[in-house]
Amino acid sequence: MTFAQITAANVWSLTVNTVFLLWMSGILLGRIPRCGIRHAAGCILAGTCRILLTASSGAACYLAGVLRWKYGIGMIAWQYFVIAGSLLFLKILYRRSFRDCFLCAVMVEILCTYGQLLSELYIQLYGKNFYNIAVAEDRREYLFWMMVVSPACLLLCGFGIDRSGMGKTYRKWLEQEKVHKGIFLLLVFFPMVYDLLEPVIYGKELKAAVLLIPLSLLLVIHLICVYVGRDWRQKEYILAQQASLRQQTIYIEKMERMQSELRRFRHDFQNMMAGIYLQAKEGDLEAVQNFIQEMTGDFDRQVGGQIQLMNQLENIRVMAVKSLLLEKLACMQQEGMSCELEVYNPFESCRMNGTDLCRCLGILVDNAMDEVRGQKGGRIHLLISVRNGCITFVIKNTLFGTVDFKQLGRAGYTTKGSGHGTGLDSYRKILERYDSVFSFTAIQDGCFVQELKIKES
Amino acid sequence: MLPVYLCEDDERIREAERIWLEKQILIENFDMEIVLCTGRPEELLERLSYEQRQGVYFLDVELKGASMDGFQLGEEIRKMDAGGFLIYVTAFQDLAFETFRYHLEALDYICKKDPGQMYAGLSQCLKVIAERVGREKGGQQEYFTVKTLDIVRHIPLGEILYFATSERTHRIELRAMQERLDFIGSMSKLEERLKPHFVRVHRAYLVRKDQIAGIERKSREIVLKNGERCPFSRSMRKYLESLVCPKEG
Repeated sequence: MTFAQITAANVWSLTVNTVFLLWMSGILLGRIPRCGIRHAAGCILAGTCRILLTASSGAACYLAGVLRWKYGIGMIAWQYFVIAGSLLFLKILYRRSFRDCFLCAVMVEILCTYGQLLSELYIQLYGKNFYNIAVAEDRREYLFWMMVVSPACLLLCGFGIDRSGMGKTYRKWLEQEKVHKGIFLLLVFFPMVYDLLEPVIYGKELKAAVLLIPLSLLLVIHLICVYVGRDWRQKEYILAQQASLRQQTIYIEKMERMQSELRRFRHDFQNMMAGIYLQAKEGDLEAVQNFIQEMTGDFDRQVGGQIQLMNQLENIRVMAVKSLLLEKLACMQQEGMSCELEVYNPFESCRMNGTDLCRCLGILVDNAMDEVRGQKGGRIHLLISVRNGCITFVIKNTLFGTVDFKQLGRAGYTTKGSGHGTGLDSYRKILERYDSVFSFTAIQDGCFVQELKIKES
Repeated sequence: MLPVYLCEDDERIREAERIWLEKQILIENFDMEIVLCTGRPEELLERLSYEQRQGVYFLDVELKGASMDGFQLGEEIRKMDAGGFLIYVTAFQDLAFETFRYHLEALDYICKKDPGQMYAGLSQCLKVIAERVGREKGGQQEYFTVKTLDIVRHIPLGEILYFATSERTHRIELRAMQERLDFIGSMSKLEERLKPHFVRVHRAYLVRKDQIAGIERKSREIVLKNGERCPFSRSMRKYLESLVCPKEG
């Protein structure tokens, strides 16, 4: 066969492979982020380049005999070359870390190997060992295998992965900062292990049993993922329980404080009532009016504020956010900062990832606290509003220093000395990942205002 | 003359408010008149449907027996009178005033539990409104109006430095002297809309002409008056040179 013929055949199988890669990466890494026409054009270009370059390189390697090198070295090198191509393609597509893209590329490669083995097994069972393409019948059978059976096998594999829920487990696994070393090494060395083991175990003849290698590998990976996922879920559960305990402690502390304030108020109230009774008896109406005003004002100062805060907190139904704000509020109270919280409507859920939302809010509240800390007359106002299909978070604080707007949000810019200046940069980077999130920063009436708006419907 | 509307479910408080406001308008000679005192929000809205003037609204938050609360009433008023002044007079314990201010651009919140405090608040509000109206008559400022999801913002055109495209689809970043926000829009439409004051110096940048302090030919960057920099395309060099100063560089 000529170079052009092999390349043409490869282009077809690589197109199928690329579609499969897109499908699988969608399952394993999630939706491709939409980043504009330029990004879309870049992705299409990268996909086309991948198909053409890999197809022509494959043809060249085949003709040069690279794939027939001793001990499968050529095949191993070829597989790593294909993985590198997939990695770059995924990197352009997802803009994720090299680690994530590499792991996904290897996973897809394992699945492809599995699909390929399935299709080869079909030949073993129903086809011939050798097809003479010059003969019309052989050519028809071969084309049927290449264009129908092979893609169908990949489809079968993909369907299995889709239905098994492996994507979710895998994504959870990737979300962890440290990926399990065992799986990582297994994936890194998969092409090598597979190509070295295959001829040793099964010889040259292809049997149904050969499917066991990638299948068992997939099972091992799946099991480890499930194990790690469960471990991760347990840790998450423990963290949630700890947060809930902290919340309850803070809640109890607040209730106790309220109770002691109520006790104090009752004591004052009784004394005042005794005095007012006499004044009322004497017909001193002005004194009675003053008493009523003083009493209501006193109640607001002593207990009303606490009740109001609890009422607002009750409207936050997203536990992670509630927990974060409770901690921050407790912190502010400890440091003697004046803070108000407004949650006018119940805040039940949010489309933004919980961890990301908490990180964003944490950064904004911490910045507000840093500005107000140690300053007389400083106030922080937190607002959560759920209206008209969107959630708004506003964090407002009294501004004492100056803010350089042109530097704001750049890595390293801070008004607080060394060790700071990464918060707003991280905040900006998190927001860049979301299409339905809008930010607003301003200085208004001597206050620094940070706003985060999330579209919900 | 500014029409003043009162919506309060408690008849005694409504009457006390009306008497106090009328007295203040008379004493201070404000260009205002009380046109409606009601406990029913529907009546207020009906009146507004044929009234085309900017108004002043003193509203209660909890309107007992009414089909809507003060917040909803505020929303309805805003649909008919975008520039009106909303003031909430309430004893509502958990009133989230910032939420009212944020969504309805409410001017103030007055607590009616203490009559002295309430009267002082009412007088103060009338003064602030009279001042604002006077200022607005003095000089009209041009604004750039942008809608971000459920909120409409008005940013003084003179304070905007530039618009830049973001990495996210159809997202435009607005940079002003003391404000920064992003919204969904198209650069070419913005360019068309703001043509006399702004210039498209780069595919991704639309800069306000009078904010350009100079250009740096070597790095092909514009230096803005606040020290910020943004790139410009080669084809714009001559135009920018003529804009800043022929000898600039």
